[in-house]
Amino acid sequence: MSEITRDTLMAYADGALSPAERAEVDAYMADRPDAAGEVALMQRQANGIRTLYGPISAEPVPPRLSVEKLLQTQQKRRGRAWMRLAAAVIFIGLGLGSGWLLRGQMDVPNIADRLIADAVSAHTVYVSENRHAVEVGGADSEHLSSWLSNRLQTSLAMPDLSASGLTFLGGRLLPAPEVPGGRAAQLMYEDASGARLTLYVTPSPGPDTPTYELANLGLDTALFWADAVISCTITAPYPADKLQEIARTVFTQLNPATPDYET
Amino acid sequence: MVDILHEIEAAVPALRRYARALTRDFDRADDLVQDCLERALAKRGLFRPKGPVRAWLFTILVNVHRNSLRGARRRGDMVDFADIAEPSVPAPQPGHMALAELDRAIGTLPHEQKEALLLVTLEGLPYAEAAAILDIPLGTLMSRLGRARAALKAMTGTPSEPHLRTVK
Repeated sequence: MSEITRDTLMAYADGALSPAERAEVDAYMADRPDAAGEVALMQRQANGIRTLYGPISAEPVPPRLSVEKLLQTQQKRRGRAWMRLAAAVIFIGLGLGSGWLLRGQMDVPNIADRLIADAVSAHTVYVSENRHAVEVGGADSEHLSSWLSNRLQTSLAMPDLSASGLTFLGGRLLPAPEVPGGRAAQLMYEDASGARLTLYVTPSPGPDTPTYELANLGLDTALFWADAVISCTITAPYPADKLQEIARTVFTQLNPATPDYET
Repeated sequence: MVDILHEIEAAVPALRRYARALTRDFDRADDLVQDCLERALAKRGLFRPKGPVRAWLFTILVNVHRNSLRGARRRGDMVDFADIAEPSVPAPQPGHMALAELDRAIGTLPHEQKEALLLVTLEGLPYAEAAAILDIPLGTLMSRLGRARAALKAMTGTPSEPHLRTVK
């Protein structure tokens, strides 16, 4: 070591020097009381710091810092995150899927696509419910009709689809941010095999809405139809031709004021 | 996997000690340690830290603390009541460091000096390890240590000099 600097003295005080270097500093300090005093002060500072804060490590560790506990909460959280991720993947998949299936109709204003997407989401969620599939049962058809008509501010009859082998289960009110009034009615039907069909009815989203769209979504087919008063999306696990046949019945009954439905 | 958890657990008392000295605030210190542990536990599956687990944990703690300071600076610094300078304290007895005064003096150090000083003195880490944890060159570590010590000396007075108090 050629030169002994303040840094050397500090390293000495912090015990960062090799034995040979220490000996050199010891010799240097022997006739320099100011350097020795400097080192002693730095050591006193370090001792003071250890006296002040050293005992903290002997304190009992609070439960919130227990590794085991933190690990448990993290695993729980991770489980939930996985579920959210899985749900996101499914919804993105649905979105991509419907986007792909609707690719030929990209020139239409996308309000119809958005309504179809809402209708299909609502269909997917509620047809899988057993006890809570509907909010108001089909037995109370008259009440349901006036309630939903009031909410949607349009006259709405509950179509009778028994001719197509479908029993009316009932309906529910749903939020529909895409349309004026922000509400939609979902009516649910079931056939003898347990397959379910839903009608997703909203007030008309506006004059630019396309009047007719058919979307094949894997197992389900969705058929959208709109006029100046209402829009309706029919979703069911049926082939397109069967759905079109049902649609004819639906549209004439649903809103008798509208002109005949034509494919 | 199991031993890394044991190693993490074993480091908790030292992490609390370092965090408390850094913040001089019981709850904030434990918040920092909790953050640090959560990150370590979340990351431990992704990679096996190179070198000792303890140094890795200190690195995380230092970063959590630096991030929290960045946030605090945006909100405006909180001043601990105990940090507000008190009227004169009697001069310490010769050869004896007045601990309360030292504690307050440490509280006023810039945080980059404080984190360096406490790693070396309180945690007793070698310079090279402290520099690696703080992600700074060795020379920078030494200059921070030097400045921290000079500041403490000026603020706490020394037995060999007349007791001078710097008024901030």
